[in-house]
Amino acid sequence: MADPMRIRAVARDGVVNVRVLMSHEMETGQRKDASGKLVPAHFIRNVTASHQGKTVLTALWGPAVAKNPYLEFEFKGGQKGDKVLVTWEDNKGEKRSDEGVIN
Amino acid sequence: MSRWSRPLFWVLALAICGQGWAQSSKGQHQGIGRAATADEIAAWDTDVRGDLKGLPPGSGSVSRGEVVWEAKCASCHGSFGESNQFFPPLIGGITAEDIKTGRVAGLVRGGDQRSTVMKLPKISTLWDYINRAMPWQAPKTLTADEVYAVTAYILNQGNIVPGSFVLSDRNMAEVQAMLPNRNGMTRNHGLWDTRGKPDVKAAACMRNCGPEPRITSQLPDHASGSHGNLAEQYRLFGQVRMAVLPAVKPVAAAAAPAGVSDPGRSLADKNGCLACHAPKQRTIGPALAEIASKYRGVSDAESRLVAKVRAGGQGVWGNMPMPPYQNLPEQELRAMVQWMLKSE
Repeated sequence: MADPMRIRAVARDGVVNVRVLMSHEMETGQRKDASGKLVPAHFIRNVTASHQGKTVLTALWGPAVAKNPYLEFEFKGGQKGDKVLVTWEDNKGEKRSDEGVIN
Repeated sequence: MSRWSRPLFWVLALAICGQGWAQSSKGQHQGIGRAATADEIAAWDTDVRGDLKGLPPGSGSVSRGEVVWEAKCASCHGSFGESNQFFPPLIGGITAEDIKTGRVAGLVRGGDQRSTVMKLPKISTLWDYINRAMPWQAPKTLTADEVYAVTAYILNQGNIVPGSFVLSDRNMAEVQAMLPNRNGMTRNHGLWDTRGKPDVKAAACMRNCGPEPRITSQLPDHASGSHGNLAEQYRLFGQVRMAVLPAVKPVAAAAAPAGVSDPGRSLADKNGCLACHAPKQRTIGPALAEIASKYRGVSDAESRLVAKVRAGGQGVWGNMPMPPYQNLPEQELRAMVQWMLKSE
């Protein structure tokens, strides 16, 4: 199980700014280890963020995204105290969901 | 000299030397200097040592640290200490296993992006550095409690302490025992011991020394000045307890031609603007000349910029936000903006 994401969401003037730091290896599948063998690809494919059951962001990622990705986005309509749920799924089918409270 | 008189000779010689020593430590140096007073020693002795001597009493929680972090640290280091934009990341590269072993596997393996929490062998270093050098544009403005809080926040981001943790002068030693690289300090080198292994070793070559070395390439001119005049970017803060060498003075004077007497310039210096805004080169913030040329011919440039400095901002010149400076007097702000708008 991957480490939890760090999520910070701040509402200002009706717009919620969300910052997420994910903990993931993001192996491209092109890198070789010390013995010369290819390191198998392992990267996040889908990212979704939802606010009160409504999806506010979906993203399709690939091996070009760096290790431990940082994601920042904004959406309208969030209130202080609401929760933002962020989920990622990688190419091995691993999933992780974490919640952040808007403040 | 007979057999018995030899020891006597040495005794005599030692006695004479001893006398000379006593004289030089008392008599000859009389009137030169004086013993440092207790206040002077206290003013110099500001560090926190590895054994935590010098740590002031206080405490700060991770959640308090998060508030301070967002206000004063996140603009450069990123919300989670992860940013690699201007400074190497503070967080990253450590695992739960590293915290157990006290040696960061990523450092042993090599090739990983290094972060502060990876390298840190002593918690006192982190505390002391934040206390004395941070925030960038206003060092030494954090209270002891805020430094504890920020340190706790960094440790939490590195998964070393839980989110409910309260760091204080009493539990710093416990945190030291959890640092991921606490066993990573090596002492078998020339930086620690004069007889240790040096980084480079030059052996004088007397014959068959190979071809005469010659310079085959140099940094091109456009790259050699890419960071601007570093002398102008020093963060001078507070009273400097040393003399400025005469040999250094002309350089400093040449760095600021004709503008030295401008009150706006000295105010900008005093308030730490120049830590991020260099005269010509873009460093952390836009260069002063860039700002001046953007607002050239704009009639209300001065009042607009005064408002911008007061409110802080982000997005005009890039992602790096500028912190708000709400407490500056209007007059000082105007003088600084006027001086800045004259930049070329």
